[in-house]
Amino acid sequence: MEALSNTLAVAVTFAYLGISVAYLGGWIIKKATFLGRLATLGLWLALMAHTASIVLRWLASHDLGFGHAPFSNLFESLVFFGWTLALLYLIIEIKTGDKRMGAFAVPLAFFAMLYALKLDPAIKPLLPALKSNWLIAHVITCFLGYAGFGVSAALSVMYLVTGQAKDPEGHKALVLDDLIYQNVVVGFILLTAGIVTGSIWANSAWGTYWSWDPKETWSSACCLRTSA
Amino acid sequence: MSDTPQTPPAGERIWNFFASVKLSFSLLLVLAVTSILGTLIPQKESLSAYVQAYGETGTRVIQALRLNDMYHAPWFLLLLACLAVNLVICSLNRLPTTLKLMAKDPQADLKRSPQTQESCTLAGAPDSHLERAQALLQKAVGQVSAGQTDKASVLFAQKGAWSRLGVYVVHLSVIIIMTGAIVGNIWGFAGRMNINEGQTLDSITLDNGQQRPLGFALRLEKFAVSFYEGGSMPSEFRSDVTFLDQGQTVMQAVLRVNDPAEYKGVDFYQASYGQNVGRLEVNVVHGGHKHPVQLEHGRWVDLPDGAGKAILLEARADIHMGEVYHGPAARIGYQVEGSEPMALTAFKAGAPFPARGPVSFEILDLATVQYSGLSVKHDPGVWFIWVGCTLMVVGFFITFYCAHRKVWVRLTPAGKDRTKVELAGSTNKNRLGLKRLLERLGAQMQSKSGE
Repeated sequence: MEALSNTLAVAVTFAYLGISVAYLGGWIIKKATFLGRLATLGLWLALMAHTASIVLRWLASHDLGFGHAPFSNLFESLVFFGWTLALLYLIIEIKTGDKRMGAFAVPLAFFAMLYALKLDPAIKPLLPALKSNWLIAHVITCFLGYAGFGVSAALSVMYLVTGQAKDPEGHKALVLDDLIYQNVVVGFILLTAGIVTGSIWANSAWGTYWSWDPKETWSSACCLRTSA
Repeated sequence: MSDTPQTPPAGERIWNFFASVKLSFSLLLVLAVTSILGTLIPQKESLSAYVQAYGETGTRVIQALRLNDMYHAPWFLLLLACLAVNLVICSLNRLPTTLKLMAKDPQADLKRSPQTQESCTLAGAPDSHLERAQALLQKAVGQVSAGQTDKASVLFAQKGAWSRLGVYVVHLSVIIIMTGAIVGNIWGFAGRMNINEGQTLDSITLDNGQQRPLGFALRLEKFAVSFYEGGSMPSEFRSDVTFLDQGQTVMQAVLRVNDPAEYKGVDFYQASYGQNVGRLEVNVVHGGHKHPVQLEHGRWVDLPDGAGKAILLEARADIHMGEVYHGPAARIGYQVEGSEPMALTAFKAGAPFPARGPVSFEILDLATVQYSGLSVKHDPGVWFIWVGCTLMVVGFFITFYCAHRKVWVRLTPAGKDRTKVELAGSTNKNRLGLKRLLERLGAQMQSKSGE
């Protein structure tokens, strides 16, 4: 099961590359609308395979006798990050019907997965400090937040590349601007929630909700920066 | 000279300084940047570590600015205090205006006529559309007020006026969290206890080294580490403890990492574990004779035959020295009357090490006892923190997702038996959302107007 999960992860990674190319092709070659449709279909399939890979990993960890949710190390987090990016993009595509954004958002999922593939995918048991439901909530909220920031960054690149800055009051520019804003807001709120769930977890593991460690401090600095 | 602006009184100037949004932005940025600084400079290290990394001068700067314990440095706390004052005064300054905006009489809004954003012309007199427009507006926005201008019928509705309070919720949450931290610092305490299996302790060692009585006692029944199957990775650290109050057993609990126990507001966390040496039995080898002796920590024991006295300094149940030696080892302090004390190392009998000194020791038995290291804390501020955190997330949600929207619908006669429908709106955020709402309303007015 673990092997199948890993194979799926590899397949999904390169599917994201192919899908990115298809979105890009569909955007550049205006007549090739089938490319866009193909890319969307491909992305749905890839997302399903990606989901299967994560679920299989979860099941495999139970087979190994120490089952835990697949959000425990950098590999698993990146795989989950790629998944949230793909999902968030698809939701936006459904809501706006704009396929061009795929050329900017899907490559992010590809790079997240590519980075994951360079890491050791072995399923390892959890250290006692990591056995907490709050930790799972923490990881999920944080990575959804990262995905929000990731997509908004991709859309911002699109905003600049497609020259929307020349006509900031145009309909397309406004829609894009709104989407970027929405994604940043989602990211910001989720990261705030992520810090809170992280705090609750720390309180149950170490008895302190905040210990000014580098990661905590950076995250709050990002939080302050964003709110300012 | 009469137009020279008068300097406002000092109180007002201070008030205005703390009420400025510029100050908030600056404080947030300064806090973010300095917090990052604190992650780049290692915190709470020894002085020599700083000298090594930053040199003499650098270390002096670090000490002067308390950068080695930055988050507790007076200037950092002062920044936080400024932020708190800033938030409170900003809120107090703006709240009356906000409340006025929220409580504004719809009739007053009705008379305003903002610029038309959507319009269409329908068949039929204005009166024939009034009811339908009212229903649609009611459904899309909320409570409708109706009125007349000289020619037109005007409908007005608003929603989300309360969302203007979102930002105050966020400000309040920050203040509550800060209050929680202060409450925790003043009325709370934190420390640790290392407790042997079978031992009963009624005090803890605070972070500053002082002992603090708990007012009740804790007994460690058993400590255990379990490992994942076929590996050396620990899966669980567990202490079985009993709480005793005035000699009576009041509660039994299991402490695990991530699973603390609480009694009378004091929380106990599984933090570490190890082995304490309970008792060391050795043979004293002196002038060809061997005598068994028991040595202890912290107490000199007189040796038989007038061989001097000895004390246990440190012992390890198991040390590995490659092929040479494998077994227990101990450092023993030894002193003969009238000479300087010395430290000798003892191994089990037959160890291939030459004896140094007038006597030597052979370890017969080393009894160790398991101890569990517990973090202990009492933090009455923690509930402030959770309430504050919840409010903060809720507050951000309101601030970003809920807008105060106002929508006007004007129905004007346009020629014979025709009506001009004009839609206008205003909002304090998310203009695009308002635009979509007006478009939808316009479309609804048109789509079923023939029925």
